[in-house]
Amino acid sequence: MKNNLLMKLLSLLVLASFVLAACGGPAPQASATEEAMTEAPATEAVTEAPAADDVALRWRTRPDNQEEINVYSQISSELDAQLDGISLTYEPGGSEGANYQDQLRAEIAAGTAPDVFWIPGTDVADFATRGLILNAADLAGATDGYTAENFYAGPMFHLTYNPETGASGDGSGAVWGLPRDVSTFALYLNLDLIAEAGAADPRELAANGEWDWDAFLDVAQKTRALGPDIYGYGASAWWGPYGVWLNASGGGFFTEDRTACNLNSEESLAGLEFQRSLYQDFDVATPYGEDPEPPFRAGNVAMFQNGRWATPGIRTVDFNWDVVELPNGPQGTPGNWLFWGAYVINANTEHPEEAWALVQALTTAETQGQVSALGANIPSRVSQEALDAFLTFTPPDNNQAFLNGIAPDANPTAEGPLWAGSWPEFDKIMGPAIQGVLTGATSVEQFGATICDEANKAFNQ
Amino acid sequence: MHSHSSEQTKLTLHIHFVWRIVFAFLMIVGMYVLWTSPAERESWQKIIVTVVCSLAAILSIYGATQINKGNHSGRMIALLLDYLGFATALVMALNTGEIFIGIDALGQTFPQGIPYLGIVIVGYFLGSLDEYLPTKKATSENSLKTVGRWIMLLGGILFLWQIEAVNGAVYFFSKLIQPLGIASVIAIIIFGISLWSMSRPHIAQALGVKTGHEQIINGWLFLSPNLLGFLIFFAGPLVLSLYFSFTDSDAFNTPNWVGFDNYARILNVRFALLETPTQLAREVVDIKIYDEVDRFVIGNTGILFAAADKFFWLALRNTLTFVLFAVPLSVIPALILSNVLNSKLPGMKFFRAVYFMPSIAAVVGIALVWQWLYNATIGYINYFITLGIEFWNNLFNLAIVDPKIQWVSDERTALLAVVIIAAWQTMGFNTVLFLAGLQNIPGELYEAATVDGAGAWDKFWGITLPMLAPTTFYVVSTTTIQAMQVFEQVFILMNPPEGPNNSTITLVLYLYRSGFQNFQQGYASAIAWVLFIVIFGLTLIQFQRQRRSSIYES
Repeated sequence: MKNNLLMKLLSLLVLASFVLAACGGPAPQASATEEAMTEAPATEAVTEAPAADDVALRWRTRPDNQEEINVYSQISSELDAQLDGISLTYEPGGSEGANYQDQLRAEIAAGTAPDVFWIPGTDVADFATRGLILNAADLAGATDGYTAENFYAGPMFHLTYNPETGASGDGSGAVWGLPRDVSTFALYLNLDLIAEAGAADPRELAANGEWDWDAFLDVAQKTRALGPDIYGYGASAWWGPYGVWLNASGGGFFTEDRTACNLNSEESLAGLEFQRSLYQDFDVATPYGEDPEPPFRAGNVAMFQNGRWATPGIRTVDFNWDVVELPNGPQGTPGNWLFWGAYVINANTEHPEEAWALVQALTTAETQGQVSALGANIPSRVSQEALDAFLTFTPPDNNQAFLNGIAPDANPTAEGPLWAGSWPEFDKIMGPAIQGVLTGATSVEQFGATICDEANKAFNQ
Repeated sequence: MHSHSSEQTKLTLHIHFVWRIVFAFLMIVGMYVLWTSPAERESWQKIIVTVVCSLAAILSIYGATQINKGNHSGRMIALLLDYLGFATALVMALNTGEIFIGIDALGQTFPQGIPYLGIVIVGYFLGSLDEYLPTKKATSENSLKTVGRWIMLLGGILFLWQIEAVNGAVYFFSKLIQPLGIASVIAIIIFGISLWSMSRPHIAQALGVKTGHEQIINGWLFLSPNLLGFLIFFAGPLVLSLYFSFTDSDAFNTPNWVGFDNYARILNVRFALLETPTQLAREVVDIKIYDEVDRFVIGNTGILFAAADKFFWLALRNTLTFVLFAVPLSVIPALILSNVLNSKLPGMKFFRAVYFMPSIAAVVGIALVWQWLYNATIGYINYFITLGIEFWNNLFNLAIVDPKIQWVSDERTALLAVVIIAAWQTMGFNTVLFLAGLQNIPGELYEAATVDGAGAWDKFWGITLPMLAPTTFYVVSTTTIQAMQVFEQVFILMNPPEGPNNSTITLVLYLYRSGFQNFQQGYASAIAWVLFIVIFGLTLIQFQRQRRSSIYES
């Protein structure tokens, strides 16, 4: 009897939970898409109901935040209506526990990857040489109005690179995809700290053409002097931030033909030495390897080097802030990167023509304008319409700093795949070695004496 | 109750004999089609299918001969093959009907049906209300039960309707109507009839089956779901990874057999004498093949350790260092804590739950919280260290320098940071295991020791520790195996995961990087097998030590 009563009490509890579930449960199926537009979690796919004869395509990007997911969901819905005979499903990729690229690779291996997906520029060679992405040269050749010149030259050089002939550009026989967007580094400034330290305003220095490494160091040192917990400069620990110092001094990761390691060149070592001094000699930087964003957001870092993608997050800080382009190095340019990623077509898609149409639609000026208006991306299409949309997103007031970073005068280095070797292998060797220098465990001389012995092996694979 | 004539039994056995021959023939035909079909299949798939089909064919023919001789082993073989055939055909039918994709769809529609399950429960309540009626009348009791049942039925139908079960069933059968689906259904029927027929008592009697034989069959039958799951989802991939370790598989293209190349690359190491401690590696080893892993300086000279894959050896070094620190830090505090929590003091149950909580928390969440705590500039750990130093400096007028430890960005402390998290997380679980062990120690032993004048330490050393030996062995073994496979904490906590100067690269992390990020699944499989051998070796040593020292053995 006691057990029976217990069973009934439990049943009552379950019943109550059912009632609650019925009251507060998910919306009916019909409105699920609409809900996903505004509140979709990162892993939830947004699907339009396909018409009977539509070709169903799945596509994926790596969004950085919920706002981006919402914009891409909106774009997917609009393109679904625009593209005749094509029904779209948008899948935001990646999550805290599942790396975007790793998940994508696993799905390609299993044959379940989407028809169109985004990959970073550094991955294009790996994906292309392994036959994972489609060479859309024939489709592009048959498309009215298509030319690689509609996009920034840097990304298109790599995206139209034919590894068999070494040719690039229209008519090279290779089109691996179209760039989704471009980005570059700037310095996010804590204007309150800079003013408190009595340092010159970097924006004014840049406007006057006086924004170089010396001026940068001066601002960093003055703000660092404000207290033991205040830092002049902060940057994350990956190839992007340290690469700019090498580029700006005339060096770089690879030789000009990208077939060998260039990390031990005099120019590269000079750039690395300056960066090392920021951490070890002048002690103006947040410890290398520590995430600098939390202390910047806490108001403890004067200059935080990051890309445009960080802007939406930085908007929530409660101090005065703006951005400025990176300082000019010894070569007279900031050595900045032109970051990019591309929409590519799955080599195993059953609908290559429709997939190509989707890739084009995703990279029109109108679509890029929608994404750019969010503030996290710079359009990859050389289009005033798209750039105007980008400039409307404030703060920061000085949006032009990002455009200056990718202007031809700044001579940015396009992030690029390594056709003659393996980028992941190269990065695996380079990253820890650079970290050793910047944390003071290894000298620049030791680094220079051994790094290319190891790194050149990445070119033989 | 009806008897079966011997003629009928003979005929049935004869049919079974023919079926076993036909089955073997079908297996041979299947192999022939596999190797002559133009459809592209990977060689490892062909080999596995061929081995399975050959075994089945041989067994089937042997079973046929045994059935012919009236031997019970023929029945066992027939039951085994038909059972496996039935299970395979069932899975094929379900897969052809896309039932596994349908389960995903059910996950989406199920919430819509949940409220209607409530109607089922209302019906159940109504049906059972009679127990609470003050005066029970047969008619009212019956009508309540009937109404309750109808409401439950209605709720069930509405539930199935809401989760779109009808649509799902229609979709399933529409997909099943294709050659493979129909063949699967026919196979299910044939194997099912054969199983039913062979398990009938008069057939068993005719084949001389005894109670012991039946018990063996029943035992295997109960074991079979777990055993099949083990073979398909564990042993199968294990064997497959062994095969991949001898190939250059990149997971996308057809792998090429490379023999022991992957293992040779892992184990290709060189030791070279250095003339000076700073002599460059390229001067003493072939730098096109080898990279410096470490150098051991002895006075004005030294020994260089170089390897063809330095990352493997760095990962092995880090993993073993991690085990060396993480295992004692997870076990010894757990042993002490379990003794404290085993006391009869009030509130101990609460603390047992508190210490267990890190074990059930998600690793990703834990690592992110610790990442924040470890932050060198705004982290709470350094903040409290600073506060403490300021306190002592002010109190005693000292000049202790704040170390401002860079927990995750300094190669000297990065691995320690991971060790602390792992120990903190594992300690609670180990404490519970020790607690269980402690509660199994007979109280009489302690009483006798007290009578003999033993103190608390003597009891702990002389009774608790020896009596806990089996638990300790289990805890140490499992913690060591777990520590050898450290991955999540490093992957989430460190940025990049390899840590400063590769100080936190571990074997599983390197395996993951190689297999899933660098497209080297063949090589990653070889690393996995080397890791398996290392773990197996360590566990074997622990087993041998346990046998020597166990009080239960002696």
